[in-house]
Amino acid sequence: MEIKVNTKDSVTTAQLIGRLDTPASQEVSGDFDNLMQFAAGTIILDCTQLEYISSSGLRLFLSLRKAAASKGGKVIVKAINNDIRSVFMMTGFLNLFEIQN
Amino acid sequence: MNTNRKFESKMSKNRHLDPHCEAILEEYRDNLPRFREVEVQVRDMLIRTLSEAGLLVAALESRIKEYDSLAGKLELKGHKYSSLADLTDILGLRIITFYIDDVDIVASAVERLFTIDWDNSVDKRKIHEIDSFGYLSLHYICSIPGFPYRFEIQMLTLLQHAWANMNHDTGYKSGVEIPKGYMRNMSRLAGMLELVDDEFSKIRIELTDYRRRVQALVKSGNLDEVSIDGDTFRSYLELNPFGQLNKRIASINQAEIQDVPLMPYLAVFKGMGLKTLGDIASIVRNYSEGAYQIACYQIGLTDLDIIASSIGPQNLCIAYILKNGGGKAGLRYMFDLLNGESESNATIADMMLEQAKDLPFMNTGN
Repeated sequence: MEIKVNTKDSVTTAQLIGRLDTPASQEVSGDFDNLMQFAAGTIILDCTQLEYISSSGLRLFLSLRKAAASKGGKVIVKAINNDIRSVFMMTGFLNLFEIQN
Repeated sequence: MNTNRKFESKMSKNRHLDPHCEAILEEYRDNLPRFREVEVQVRDMLIRTLSEAGLLVAALESRIKEYDSLAGKLELKGHKYSSLADLTDILGLRIITFYIDDVDIVASAVERLFTIDWDNSVDKRKIHEIDSFGYLSLHYICSIPGFPYRFEIQMLTLLQHAWANMNHDTGYKSGVEIPKGYMRNMSRLAGMLELVDDEFSKIRIELTDYRRRVQALVKSGNLDEVSIDGDTFRSYLELNPFGQLNKRIASINQAEIQDVPLMPYLAVFKGMGLKTLGDIASIVRNYSEGAYQIACYQIGLTDLDIIASSIGPQNLCIAYILKNGGGKAGLRYMFDLLNGESESNATIADMMLEQAKDLPFMNTGN
C-alpha cells in the first residue's frame, strides 16, 4: 500500500495505491496522521488505484473526515471502484462522504 | 509632543475651548489606553455571557469617542461636566438583537455583569407618548470595579438600529433645523418598524409553541398526529427510533456502530410520500425484518465490523421501496437524494435490486 501526497494551495490530494486491508491500514496510519495537518482545507482521497478497503481502512477515512469537520475542512473521496462503493453502501457510510467520480 | 497630540491640540484650539475643557481633554488623552483595555474586557465579558446563555445577537459594536467628537461636545456644553468622569459615553457599546424580546434578556445579562447607574440609565422605549414614534432603545450607564469611568451600553433590535443609523446619518445632531416633513416620515417609519419587530417576535413565539407541542406529541407517542418536517423529524430522532434495528444489524458481525447525521433521511422519507412520523414508525415496525435480511446478505459474509447509524434507515427505505414496487427507479431516487445525483447511484440501485430479489422478505407479506 502506498500513499502519494501532493498539496497545492489549500487542496491536498492523497493518491491511495493498492489494497487498504487491515495490515496495510496499520502501515499507513502514520500517513493519515500526517494528512490531519491539512484538515482545515480540502483533502481529496484519490482512490483511482485503490483496489480494496477493509473496516480498518474505513476507520482511517472516518478519522480524517472527523478531523476535517472539526476544523472546517472537508474530505472528498474520488474515483472509488464499484467494490469499494459497495462497502461504503453496505456499511451506511456512502452518504457521509462527498464522493466524486 | 507627538504628531497626534499636535493635531489634536490644533483641533481643540480651533474650537475655542476654555482651560476647564482643555483639562478634560488632557484627562481623556491620558486615559485613552485604559479605555481601550476596558473596551476589550467589557466586550469579552458580554460575548462570553451571551454565548453561555445561548443568546444569538445580530451584532456587538463598541467604540471609544474620537478626540474631535469629544472636543466638539465640550465646546457646546463643556460647562456641564466637572471632569471626564461626568461623561458617560467615552466608551460606548451597542448590542443589537434580532428580536425585541431579546433586548430585555440582554439587559438582564448586563445587569448581572456590571454596576448600573440607574439614575442616568434610560429606557427610551418608555419615554414616548402614546401617539409618538421614534428612537426605541435601552441605554444603561455602567461601571466595573477598578475603573473610575462609566460607560454606556445601548441595547436595541436590528430594525431599531437601522432606524437610528438612518436618522443619525441625515444629521439630526448637526444643529440645522430639520424640515417637519422629514421628521414626520421618520416617525412613520419608526412606527412601522415597531410593528414589524412585534410581528417577528410573535412569529418566534408561535414557532416555539409549535415546537413545544410537537415535542410533547412525539414524546407521548402520538406520532400519527405529527407531520414530518425538520423540527419534528429531529425530535423523533431523539427517541432513537432506529437504534434497535441498528443493534440487530451490528450483531451480525459484532460491529461497532458509528453515529452519523440522520437528518438527510428526512428528504428520503418525504420523497417516499410519508406524511407523519407515525408513517415512519410504521415502516420501522413492518420493514425491520427486511432491512435486517438485506444487512445479513450484504455484510454477513464479510469481516466488516464497523457500520454507520444510518444503516438502519437506509435498509428500511430499501426494503420499503422494493416491497412496494419502487424498483430500480425508486432506489436510484433514494440514493440521488442521499448522495446527490450521479450515474453511480444507478449502479448501486442495480446491485441492490439483484441482491434483494431472492431475500425472504420479498416473498412474504411484509
